[in-house]
Amino acid sequence: MIIDCKGEQFILNKERAIFWVAKKMLIISDLHIGKSAHFRRSGIQVPDTVGLTDLHRLTSLMKEFEPDTLLVTGDMFHNNINSDANAFVDWRRGYPHLKIVLIKGNHDALKNEDYEALNIEVHTKELLCAPFRFIHDQPVERDEYYNICGHIHPGVVLYGKARQQLKFPCFYFGQHCAILPAFSVFTGLKILKPQEGDRFYALTLHKVIEVKRIR
Amino acid sequence: MQLEKSKGYKKVIKWLKQHKKKPFKFQTDAWLYYAEGYSGLINAPTGFGKTFSIFLAVVIDELNADLSSAASTAAVKKKGSQIQQKRKSGLKLIWITPLRSLAKDLARAMREVCEQLELDWHIGVRNGDTPQNEKLKQKKQMPEVLIITPESIHLLLAQKSTFNYFDQLQCIVADEWHELLGSKRGVMTELAISRIRGLLIDQHPERLLRIWGISATIGNLEQAMDVLVPYDEVLKTIIKSDVEKKIEIRSILPDHIDMLPWAGHLGHKLAHKLLPIIHKSKTTLIFTNTRGQAELWYQTLLAQDENLAGQLAIHHGSIDYELRNWIEEAIHTGVLKAVVCTSSLDLGVDFKPVDTVIQIGSPKGVARFLQRAGRSGHSPYETSKIYFLPTHALELVEAAAIKEAARTQDIESREPIVMSFDALIQYLVTLAVGDGFDDEKIFFEIKQTHAFRELLPQEWKWIMQFITTGGDSLTAYNEFKKVSKDEDGLWKVKSRQIAMRHRLHIGTIVSDAMLKVKYLTGGYVGMIEESFISRMKPGSSFTLAGRVLEFIMVKEMMVLVRKSKMKQAISPSWMGGRISLSANLGSILRKKYNETLNKTHGEEELDFILPLFERQAKVSHVPKSDEFLIELINTKDGYHFFAYPFEGRQVHEIMAALIAYRLGRIKPISFSIAMNDYGFELLSEQPIPLDEAHIKALFTPVNLSEDIVASINATEMARRKFRDIACISGLVFQGYPGKYVANKHLQSSAGLFFSVFSDYDKHNLLLRQAYDEAFYQQIEEPRLAAALKRIQESKIIIVKTDRYTPLCFPIKVDSLRDSMSSEELSHRIERMTAESEKTAQVKKKNNRRKDDH
Repeated sequence: MIIDCKGEQFILNKERAIFWVAKKMLIISDLHIGKSAHFRRSGIQVPDTVGLTDLHRLTSLMKEFEPDTLLVTGDMFHNNINSDANAFVDWRRGYPHLKIVLIKGNHDALKNEDYEALNIEVHTKELLCAPFRFIHDQPVERDEYYNICGHIHPGVVLYGKARQQLKFPCFYFGQHCAILPAFSVFTGLKILKPQEGDRFYALTLHKVIEVKRIR
Repeated sequence: MQLEKSKGYKKVIKWLKQHKKKPFKFQTDAWLYYAEGYSGLINAPTGFGKTFSIFLAVVIDELNADLSSAASTAAVKKKGSQIQQKRKSGLKLIWITPLRSLAKDLARAMREVCEQLELDWHIGVRNGDTPQNEKLKQKKQMPEVLIITPESIHLLLAQKSTFNYFDQLQCIVADEWHELLGSKRGVMTELAISRIRGLLIDQHPERLLRIWGISATIGNLEQAMDVLVPYDEVLKTIIKSDVEKKIEIRSILPDHIDMLPWAGHLGHKLAHKLLPIIHKSKTTLIFTNTRGQAELWYQTLLAQDENLAGQLAIHHGSIDYELRNWIEEAIHTGVLKAVVCTSSLDLGVDFKPVDTVIQIGSPKGVARFLQRAGRSGHSPYETSKIYFLPTHALELVEAAAIKEAARTQDIESREPIVMSFDALIQYLVTLAVGDGFDDEKIFFEIKQTHAFRELLPQEWKWIMQFITTGGDSLTAYNEFKKVSKDEDGLWKVKSRQIAMRHRLHIGTIVSDAMLKVKYLTGGYVGMIEESFISRMKPGSSFTLAGRVLEFIMVKEMMVLVRKSKMKQAISPSWMGGRISLSANLGSILRKKYNETLNKTHGEEELDFILPLFERQAKVSHVPKSDEFLIELINTKDGYHFFAYPFEGRQVHEIMAALIAYRLGRIKPISFSIAMNDYGFELLSEQPIPLDEAHIKALFTPVNLSEDIVASINATEMARRKFRDIACISGLVFQGYPGKYVANKHLQSSAGLFFSVFSDYDKHNLLLRQAYDEAFYQQIEEPRLAAALKRIQESKIIIVKTDRYTPLCFPIKVDSLRDSMSSEELSHRIERMTAESEKTAQVKKKNNRRKDDH
């Protein structure tokens, strides 16, 4: 689905990514690479395939959009380097010319040399790229920049007649900020309460659907 | 030697005589059987000294052993030897209780006995409320008697050098076994006993360990004993008391039937009728079915009669331990006039001053009702008095049904849980955290338990893989670390973090994350669910422990509050399972429906409700026991399909899913499903494709198994069951109630695991367990088949109307709903978004919205 955001053209993809057409930039958030291995190390059974699926999805996005830049608005890695992260190292070798930019999130605790080794450009707080500010969690203060962030793993509930309801991950576009869904499938959802003027884009298995009004 | 002639026996009889007491026959029976080496089950009504039956048996045995060894020492002394042969001190009796609140009073009673019989025994208590220093003391020197919860035994097994504790053990008692049986805590008890027995056999193969259960009357006592004592080579028996408890049941009727709501859970209009009962009794226990209702009723009663302030208390599981203690103490001393409570006061403890019990709302089962009735008139031969206050009109019929069931002693069974892989996984990790385990030995032990009798070698292999390598080799689990083999050949947990997390986690009672509630100025009030408080705004008020509190903020997993100036506020609704009507009660209920209209009964409740039945008969129909009623109602909410099998909520849940699934095969359609104990509702925004001539085909028992499996797959039932399973098996760490552990980076949800396993590890046994639980625990297939067969033989009555009927109303307002859809997702979404747009506009016009919650 193509939408207009502050005069820029964004393609919203059902695989939980935004493609910024003008900049040839693929934007995702909350990749949580290594989360499943982190769980396994702590004695909780999460299969490897969970992490691998995320990488496969990323690969197909690369094929579809052929971006110059991959921008991650935080939580790219889940706490440390492990077997999942090694799979990403391999993946990275397949795209030597791809520029990867990371705005650090609360889970991004790799050593600087690890990021360097992976050739990832790291911003600790934010990245200003007018008219947008890319940041992990939305700031309290408002200014002329429109914030694009992640962090909370947004979801939306649709209510229907006869007491029906359905829950989906979603893109959120509000007055001052947009929130990306978590890229990783191994994440939960935080259900957002809509405010006047908010736009929601629910992600179903097959497509992106604009949700105009929710209860 | 005959027991009656033994010194220990005589000593106990003499002591009883001094207190002007004579043992009941079932008590002396228990002593005799115990002395002969039996294990078994004791069944007696409350108030008849069930505790003493088995406790004194152990005491007599000890006294005799003591005396005989003293005699033999004397004999030895003659020869000049100095060897002491007295039985060593140490843990002799493990007393398992389901509730923490029971432990204190039990310990008090046992201590008294030991003191007066001059038996130098220490009585210890160990559970979640036991202070750390006390636990450390126990570790150094175990008391002779340990009163403990199933969870705490497992915690004991999760410690190092456990085997030392049980060196002198003579007997394990499972008190209130009927309460544990039928839950996963029962499975925990079975497992703990199997291990302790195994440890003892290793070290003292000649020793006889007796296992005794104490149970209220349930339909399957034989089975209850076999679950507790599954060992073929052990002698076992059931001892039943021949004394009967007299129970008087009265319903509190409104002045007019219109005063009772058709549905809903209040009945507060009848509150004033409770006051005279409370005033003329010494102490009254008022049972409600949920904690939220307890809070509401506490408020209501206070509002009705201000004089009750200070004499009325509230007691439930979410109230702070200290406060609960104080209340229990106050009931004992008789300073309280009445206590509003939940199942937290269902069991055991003797509250002497309690002479009246009031049950608010349907107790849903005969056994539970009788148990609660037994809380009054606690001493033998006294009559228990229980009042029943209906919270909606149809509950009056339930009251009549319960009376009949009590009269005919038609009491339901508790089905023991089997093949609970989650509990087994938790148990194995518990052992691995403790001294480690030998897999062959443990497999042998658990194969003997009732719960895992049917465990297959390949299932065992999968479980071992699950805790050692993460899963089967088809699915990779790299870097997985939990249980591994040590140099000594035992399976152990090496990581201290994993061990610590596991210890915090032991237990099978799963709840939402709980937060402690504390006054800003200090002092705890109780606990509250995180999900409730997350909906509160600072400055708004809620009630807890009968107090109106103003919410200030959540800080470090603590809810800070101050006293509110408001008189009334919203009560939190704690989640927690809803109890389903038992099959017994269901069938009696159907009979009562007949009797009401025919007036072939002698019950005032049924006379009273007749007008409502006549109204139902006028707008629709009252089903007789050979009829099956379906109501098709078309309202602005959509198309409703109501059916009334009267089989209890659990059966209806499956049956509703089944019918929804079968209707969905005719034409793609989405349903929202609701049910109660009388029937179920399918609600759709599209006309329901119903072939009225062939309605029986819809309810056919043919292809039942396949259709049930398919319908369970299509609903969220298995996913819901997985919530508990994920917690118990350690996939989801929910933190310890009130204790915050910084584990954010390991946070996840059961739903997520359910999806992950469904997508990537289909052979996961825990996943299978979720489906099995949804299916088998909900009902056994035979019961559903029998219900469907009954429907086949019934006359089908279809009523079409555009108004809600008295019968359907309680179902319609039920908020707990399931859903099922055979439509394509995108269709649904498009329609739903279009609809919500319309309703939003309508709402703007109306500008008024009813608040459901």
